[in-house]
Amino acid sequence: MNVIELKNLTKTYGKARGITNISFNVEEGEIFGFIGPNGAGKSTTIRTMLSLIYPTSGSAMIFGKDSVKYGPEIKKEIGYLPSEVFYYDNMKVKELLKYSASFYKKDCSKRITQLAEMLDLDLNKRIDDLSFGNKKKVGIVQGLLHEPKLIILDEPTSGLDPLMQQKFFELLKEENKKGTTILFSSHILSEVQKLCDRVAIIKEGELVNVEKISTLKENNHKRFKLESQTQVPHDYFKIKGVQNLEVNNHITSFLYSGNINMILQKLAQLELYNLWIEEPDLEEIFMHYYEKEN
Amino acid sequence: MNMFLHELKAYRKSTIIWAFSLVAILVLFMSMFPGLTRDAADFKKLLEGYPEGVRKAFGISLESITSLLGFYSYVFAYILLCGSIQAMNLGISILSKESREKTADFLLTKPVKRNQVVTAKLSAALTSLIITNGIYLAAAVIIAMAVSTKPFDIQTFTLISLTAFWVECMFLALGVLVSAVVTRIKSVLPLSLSTVFGFYVLNMFGAVIGEKAIRYLTPFKYYDTAYIIKHSSYETSYIIIEIIVIAGAIAASYMIYAKKDIHAV
Repeated sequence: MNVIELKNLTKTYGKARGITNISFNVEEGEIFGFIGPNGAGKSTTIRTMLSLIYPTSGSAMIFGKDSVKYGPEIKKEIGYLPSEVFYYDNMKVKELLKYSASFYKKDCSKRITQLAEMLDLDLNKRIDDLSFGNKKKVGIVQGLLHEPKLIILDEPTSGLDPLMQQKFFELLKEENKKGTTILFSSHILSEVQKLCDRVAIIKEGELVNVEKISTLKENNHKRFKLESQTQVPHDYFKIKGVQNLEVNNHITSFLYSGNINMILQKLAQLELYNLWIEEPDLEEIFMHYYEKEN
Repeated sequence: MNMFLHELKAYRKSTIIWAFSLVAILVLFMSMFPGLTRDAADFKKLLEGYPEGVRKAFGISLESITSLLGFYSYVFAYILLCGSIQAMNLGISILSKESREKTADFLLTKPVKRNQVVTAKLSAALTSLIITNGIYLAAAVIIAMAVSTKPFDIQTFTLISLTAFWVECMFLALGVLVSAVVTRIKSVLPLSLSTVFGFYVLNMFGAVIGEKAIRYLTPFKYYDTAYIIKHSSYETSYIIIEIIVIAGAIAASYMIYAKKDIHAV
């Protein structure tokens, strides 16, 4: 079953920004990554799904129901953590969480204590006295306290220290084991790589690709770095499959995907001092998605 | 209900401050009243010295200024002004506050309809106004009884005092409409002050030139104290206009807010 179904979702603001024809599905029980550089349209897509903003055309179905028409009903089962959390300052953490819980018709007090303990959050502090990271924790507890079936996270890790990030990821994995679907938006690939099963890549408001993380890794990219006797001419490696070519005096580096014999023949014709061939990380594979087309 | 209580709690402090400020202003003015009645003739002579235009602009009527109701209705103009600022402030804040303090994301991702949000906030604002006016009215009656040597008509006194609430309702509705229409309101007070003073100046202007049509344009003129003192009632036509204006503004606010995009900050 698809928990999220986006069909040609389009939102235009005036002329420039917005999203165009975004379509993808997220299946039940999946941890789905949503990745793209800042300003690519991740938040716009998410906000449309939550009917904070309304689509210009196309639709977003959550739990099989239209997100605009059945907004309040759908939101009973959604936990949302915005990228920037700001809460009513004049409240204590406990009061805010109780207020948040009061919107759901279930008793969440046990869950609140449990989550707060796990994240090391002091419930009796006033929210305006909290640091950014601690405010973020309030956001996490707020998003999870009603045990939603779908968790939507918009750049959730900023402001959390590595240890807390680790705990947070464990928490998400635990929720996922219980069957919760998670949509995780981020511009940091390593996070997504660690956590997600599949990933949608968005760039300048358009969906570039939806792929399994494992496929992306298998995509047989190799990172080449070589030190040559003389500087390699710029157009020497202008062959199919070469990306991110950098020539820096005697050091040349690039990414290559394709027939390995082709590139080895090319290399054989050069006088080399040294050669490195490495497995690239996802970050590098994605870079070409990120870079703006000229 | 949870949203209503939350909002009400948020307004608690400001409601109390407004109520006591209004009472304080009234005490200040009304404490002059006993002295004024003692030297009524001199006082009238002093006022006669002012140009007629000035007297009209400030709503001073020579015949009634030395009676309790007459003096009170003169003083009351300032209470009305302050109350209107409070109402306009509340109205503009209720919806814009969420996007300014970036809590709109919190509230609108909860399982609630936008209409429910508006209703809860509007009821809380209205409750705050009712409490303010309740405290004010009680205090005003006590003060009036304390300073007046002669008996006065309590019913008329109450009718005059209550006009503050009716005028405030109009400003509240207007404020809500503004906050529903305008995407980003950086600060509320300058906006509400300028709007309310704008109407107030229009009201003074209307009084000076004696143009009847201006009465319809400014809420300050909907309840003419001279008429109330004379008839012990309000003018029906203005009550009807008020109801239409409020209903229109509120209905529009609901519709606009339900369709509005809540942008990230």
